[in-house]
Amino acid sequence: MPDLGRAALVTAFLLLVYASVAGTFAAWHSRRRLAQSAQNALIAAFGATAVAAAVLLAALARHDLSFTYVAQHTSRELPLGYTLTAFWGGQEGSLLLWLLVLGGYSVAAVLTARRVGREVLAWVVPVLGLVGTFFALLLVFVASPFATQPAPADGAGLNPSLQNPYMAVHPPMLYLGYVGLTVPFAFAMGALLARRTDERWIVATRRWTLAAWAFLGVGQLLGAHWAYVEIGWGGYYAWDPVENAALMPWLAATAYLHSVMIQEKRGMLKVWNVLLVTLAFCLSIFGTFLTRSGIIQSIHSFTQSSIGPWFLGFICFITAASLALIFLRLPLLRAKTRLESLVSREATFLYNNLLLVALALTILWGVVYPLLSEAVTGEASTVSKPYYNFFLHSFGLPLLLLMGIGPLIAWRRASLRALGRTFLWPTAAAVVAGIALLAAGAGSSRVGVIAYTFSVFVLASIVLEFARGTSARKALGGVGWGGAFASLIARNRRRYGGYVVHAAVVLFAIGVAGSSAYQTVREARLHPGDSMTVARNRLVFRGFESSTQPNHRAIRANLWRYRPGKNQYFAEDQVSNEVSIRHDLLTGADLFLIADQVNSDGSVDLKALQKPLVNLIWFAGFIFVGGSLIALWPDAREERRLAERYEGATMRA
Amino acid sequence: MARRGSPARLIVALSVAAVLAVFLLYTSIAGGGTPSLQPSQLQGHTGRVSLVGLVAGQATGDAHAGGLHFMLRDRHAMTSVPVVYKGSVPDLFKTGREVVVDGKLRNGTFVAVPNTLVTKCPSKYAPKK
Amino acid sequence: MTLALAVGAVLAIAAVAVVAAPFLREPVAADDRLLPPDAAQQLQLARAEERDRTLDALKELEFDHRTGKVSDEDYRAQVGMLRQRAAAALRDADG
Repeated sequence: MPDLGRAALVTAFLLLVYASVAGTFAAWHSRRRLAQSAQNALIAAFGATAVAAAVLLAALARHDLSFTYVAQHTSRELPLGYTLTAFWGGQEGSLLLWLLVLGGYSVAAVLTARRVGREVLAWVVPVLGLVGTFFALLLVFVASPFATQPAPADGAGLNPSLQNPYMAVHPPMLYLGYVGLTVPFAFAMGALLARRTDERWIVATRRWTLAAWAFLGVGQLLGAHWAYVEIGWGGYYAWDPVENAALMPWLAATAYLHSVMIQEKRGMLKVWNVLLVTLAFCLSIFGTFLTRSGIIQSIHSFTQSSIGPWFLGFICFITAASLALIFLRLPLLRAKTRLESLVSREATFLYNNLLLVALALTILWGVVYPLLSEAVTGEASTVSKPYYNFFLHSFGLPLLLLMGIGPLIAWRRASLRALGRTFLWPTAAAVVAGIALLAAGAGSSRVGVIAYTFSVFVLASIVLEFARGTSARKALGGVGWGGAFASLIARNRRRYGGYVVHAAVVLFAIGVAGSSAYQTVREARLHPGDSMTVARNRLVFRGFESSTQPNHRAIRANLWRYRPGKNQYFAEDQVSNEVSIRHDLLTGADLFLIADQVNSDGSVDLKALQKPLVNLIWFAGFIFVGGSLIALWPDAREERRLAERYEGATMRA
Repeated sequence: MARRGSPARLIVALSVAAVLAVFLLYTSIAGGGTPSLQPSQLQGHTGRVSLVGLVAGQATGDAHAGGLHFMLRDRHAMTSVPVVYKGSVPDLFKTGREVVVDGKLRNGTFVAVPNTLVTKCPSKYAPKK
Repeated sequence: MTLALAVGAVLAIAAVAVVAAPFLREPVAADDRLLPPDAAQQLQLARAEERDRTLDALKELEFDHRTGKVSDEDYRAQVGMLRQRAAAALRDADG
């Protein structure tokens, strides 16, 4: 069976090379049948990759320990579910997942891109093929998941911290996001290569970009939740390089989603948009590189491996090639319109873009700082939490405020008098909220109060926007409030879906501010019978309980409703912290208990954290998905219009 | 477009300047990062550093009472330094593991900042070469 | 083992067949060019996009005015210009 897997990967590799080379030739010399053949090769490569993936999955399911990968990442006692998710528990499997997802996206995007124009698509195929070739190359020559060995008695097991339901969905989600950003990149490059400056590539990739961005966001939230419940230090985000790796492309993609609207509405910022698409794609490759190469110390990166230089080379190549292409096409990308006023929707989008990109780049700076400082001074230096928090506050808080200001300002220009009127209610709400918060003693954290005041402002402006829109819709036609509300959203899904996502971001910010700026931490050593109090919760320690599970021994501290403790995994010879969390759904607060140290004299070192509003973060995740779905939902009216625009325009002449 | 004097250019220029200013402000207040050193490089550093090394020998003491005492040595050399640490000890901490801990060198002992101990993932999960 | 070989062989043959399909289906092509849109079509495309853009802008301005986001004076200052532009774009796109 490993031979089949290897053969499938080699087939995929050859097909992708063909798609890149023949595709480039066909697009360059305008050969229709060859272009079609290259496109078929891209599709067939997906099939071959799927066969390879099926082989690996089958090997995992059968515990075939003669596969080095299976032996290294599973053990016989590992439950079947986690055995299968070990597919992406290691480097080779993750790369295979990357290639598989890329294949899926490529096939779907190429086959549904009817309107983009054959000459553009002919260039998109080799770009997608090239990215695929890189990953196939790694899988065939550098990091094969189908290496074999004499089967050992048992496998090394899966890292206990990966044995969690979240780990089953978090990596695929992230990959759907990372890889999905290849689609807008490939189409942007395709359009540039074909010298097309119309917006068909944007229309064709709109949904893919949005979906990839949503997956990336959800993936990060799942990762944060995993860290919260499984790693057990009481937090959910630690500015670890691997976490930043996903945040950077997400920020760049967020900037793109906003700035592309200016191109669609006003025909401006064409250069900026292709730059952002390129940045987002490069950051997503860089993110994969960070996670997989271990070049930068991180608690979850895998140690130094041989694929690092390959990735670095590929990133440099992609960056240089796309920048050169954009530079060559600059004359084509000139906009015919210009920004009319500094007080307009476009201008707020520009501010938001610059802040998002600045935030992404400062994070990037922090991530590569150890490498740069080592190269310059010979001594590696690292930046830590204070650095990131400083920039999160100085760029994130203005971003939060802009989220409230943007929707209230009209396109093109707005007079200050009109602004005064629209801003009246949200500002009033924010001021009242700020005073109330100060009165309630929230002033202990200045950042917290600012974040909350801004949040109220944004929420008020979103509510106002929905309310005014609904009442205007109602005034137009004889429908009730519900009908008017539904038609408001249906007529502009992207705008109102976007507002829902904004609301999610605000809830997220409230949760983050609440759980970090206003948390209570207590630590104590408790002997059986002892008690401690945290945020009015009295905890009584009654001693330890232990039980033996198939692959681990579980020790739990009995504190009535709470059972924090540790698991000792046999095959992996590892201990993992098992925290105990109680949600208070009414206030959104969590009481979070960690059995930090189990002592031989029967006492426990207990760490208790009371985290206000933390559940809003996870709740925001659902709102985020809802908003993304509203924006993604197929829109028949829009489809008809696009069909009329493009088919009409290209058929008639 | 972007003709001379267009507001878009102005915005970009102003924002870039503002971002740069914020960045400079930060670096001037907080200085650069924390130096990341191995035990053999510790000599002469009196400020806060982040120490990277392998745990050598048995760890003794109580991280939640008098402090956990252990030795950290270079990845590829035998130079080592005693460390005293208080606070949470990660699950993966054990002899032979690579760890990172922040602190200051005082009288030959590295006094760690509480709760800064982090382990790196064991090499078992990386491909064998 | 033999099964794996057979599956592998099938895979390779299928791959070659899929790649060769365009040439097998059309051994002699009357016109093998990709036929990019000519200048007139590209102009038409650009005009259609411009038409939709201005119509959208006008519609949005009307709606924003109705919701009160755009004040009467801002509305008056822009609506004439946008209407002219939309009329011109419609003329161009359909002409």
